[in-house]
Amino acid sequence: MGSFRHPGVGFLPFGLSIILIILSLALIISRWKKETSTKPFWTHRSWVRPLLGVVILGLYALVIDTLGFPLTTLIFLLIWLGIIERTYWLKMVTVSIGVTLALYLIFGYFLEVPVPMGFFK
Amino acid sequence: MLDLFASFQNLLNGFGIAFTLTNLTFALIGALLGTVVGILPGLGPAATIALLLPISFQIGSPVTSIIMMAGIFYGAMYGGSTTSILVNIPGEAASVVTCIDGYQMALKGRAGPALAICAIGSFIAGTIGVIGLTFVAPPLAEFAIRFGPPEYFALTLLGLMMATLLSGSSILKGLIMVTMGLLLGAVGLDPISGEVRFTWGLLMLQEGIDFVTLAMGLFGIGEILYNLEKELTAELVTRKISHLWPTIKDWAESKWAVVRGSLIGFFIGILPGGGALISSLVSYGVEKKISNHPEEFGKGAIQGVAGPESANNSAASASFIPLLTLGIPGNPAIAMIFAALLIQGVQPGPFLISERPDIFWGVVASMYIGNAMLLILNLPLVGIWVQLLRVPYAILAPIIVLFCCIGVYSIRNTVFDIWVMGVFGVIGYLFRKVDLEPGPLILAFVMGPILERALRQSLLISAGSPLIFLKRPIAGSLIGFLLIFILFQIIMTLRKKWKQGN
Repeated sequence: MGSFRHPGVGFLPFGLSIILIILSLALIISRWKKETSTKPFWTHRSWVRPLLGVVILGLYALVIDTLGFPLTTLIFLLIWLGIIERTYWLKMVTVSIGVTLALYLIFGYFLEVPVPMGFFK
Repeated sequence: MLDLFASFQNLLNGFGIAFTLTNLTFALIGALLGTVVGILPGLGPAATIALLLPISFQIGSPVTSIIMMAGIFYGAMYGGSTTSILVNIPGEAASVVTCIDGYQMALKGRAGPALAICAIGSFIAGTIGVIGLTFVAPPLAEFAIRFGPPEYFALTLLGLMMATLLSGSSILKGLIMVTMGLLLGAVGLDPISGEVRFTWGLLMLQEGIDFVTLAMGLFGIGEILYNLEKELTAELVTRKISHLWPTIKDWAESKWAVVRGSLIGFFIGILPGGGALISSLVSYGVEKKISNHPEEFGKGAIQGVAGPESANNSAASASFIPLLTLGIPGNPAIAMIFAALLIQGVQPGPFLISERPDIFWGVVASMYIGNAMLLILNLPLVGIWVQLLRVPYAILAPIIVLFCCIGVYSIRNTVFDIWVMGVFGVIGYLFRKVDLEPGPLILAFVMGPILERALRQSLLISAGSPLIFLKRPIAGSLIGFLLIFILFQIIMTLRKKWKQGN
């Protein structure tokens, strides 16, 4: 951590941590007295869709290296539009294929971003 | 006088750079992209520029990519008002107040004049802001050359504190965000000794958390998750936009609002921590206060549209001043441009103008051109952009998520960063749930390394005495100014509480 004379690696983080603890305590205390917030954190299962979003994103990261960018992206869009947004199936399929192609053309082809190809290589 | 002449000469050279075909094209692309993300709610200029950071090398030279990114930033200020007026949802944070009177005007069938006054006001204000940038930045940079570590420490501290105090929500929460941002900035190799910190033994964290990953998580994914909660169905006011031109009476009522908004925007934009959002709020307050008919505000007063929309544009131009002269970004979008400069190997700071005049003057000149382009894009063509609002958010959301994934992946070609982004996405979502504003965190994350280096170097110079920040005249005045500002804020809060008590 070092000293004021020779501030070391942990000098700033340590100071910041102390400040953060004090600030957090201040925030807790300032809320303690009020107890005004009576509305629930999530209303009427409103957590379901964000959670699904996170899960789908996690799955995307999990399989992209093996399945490759185009296939994973297509599946991602199908699941997202199908489960979260419950889109009409024809729209779901056309949008998914269209967007996948567009993204692959933009990033993989024009911008030459090295997207993972999985077993398509 | 000689300096003024030199600035003109340099500006002419800048136009020479900005008028090349490549740079004109990318200024136009930037303006177009900016208008689009400005119009689309849920995708702001900061996230868009962050998306483009990984490919800024493919775009071209530093000048070209910064020209485009600047275009996105001020272009979004033009686009944001369109959504505010027609849908009553701010297309972009700085257009929040435009909703109040703009939407009322649209309900009364006066969407045309509201959109037109926004475009014209934005053009005038944007241009005034760039003129200010042209003549204020060079002398300021020359002044800043003398700054040492203590001055930088005082300056970054001032910037962070101002960003917190001006961010609008609770000061305590703002300070918590700043502290967390500084801590996150400390992850990875220590800038002075080279030791590793906070990596939990993960090799991938040794280089620190990437700025783009953090920004996309907090702004991009966090925003999407938050919007997923409620099923967004935008109600669009789409009776044909007729009578685009404001009447003579509209003009007479709003011309001074535009001028006042431009000046307010410029002076707030130039402050570290100030920005487009706060300046539009101030402008709205001023217009309401000095109006002869304050009761019309909230019912479709054109000044309530003209003032704030002008203010956010000149603030956007002015916020380039602290970036290009001091190397200190004042708001999240500018922080992204700061990162873009670093990626391109250009150090933003007082030496930027003298060492890379091509970048400074090229970008400044392009901003004059970009504002003219945007006037054309937003006046006669506004009908086309309105169609964008018909793209349902349901389809837009997964596409934005995919953009974020590709952008983050492409920086280091590793899935690890997608995970990190996902984690910050969840954190950003929870932040929004509890009213924590991620802006100050991002700013603190960017300024963290500058602040830490300045602090430790200063303490090494002074052999451990913190008095060094008060003894040096410039650093001392900055700290003094900061203290006065904090005191002022405390007094204002107490006065408000006391009034409520009565």
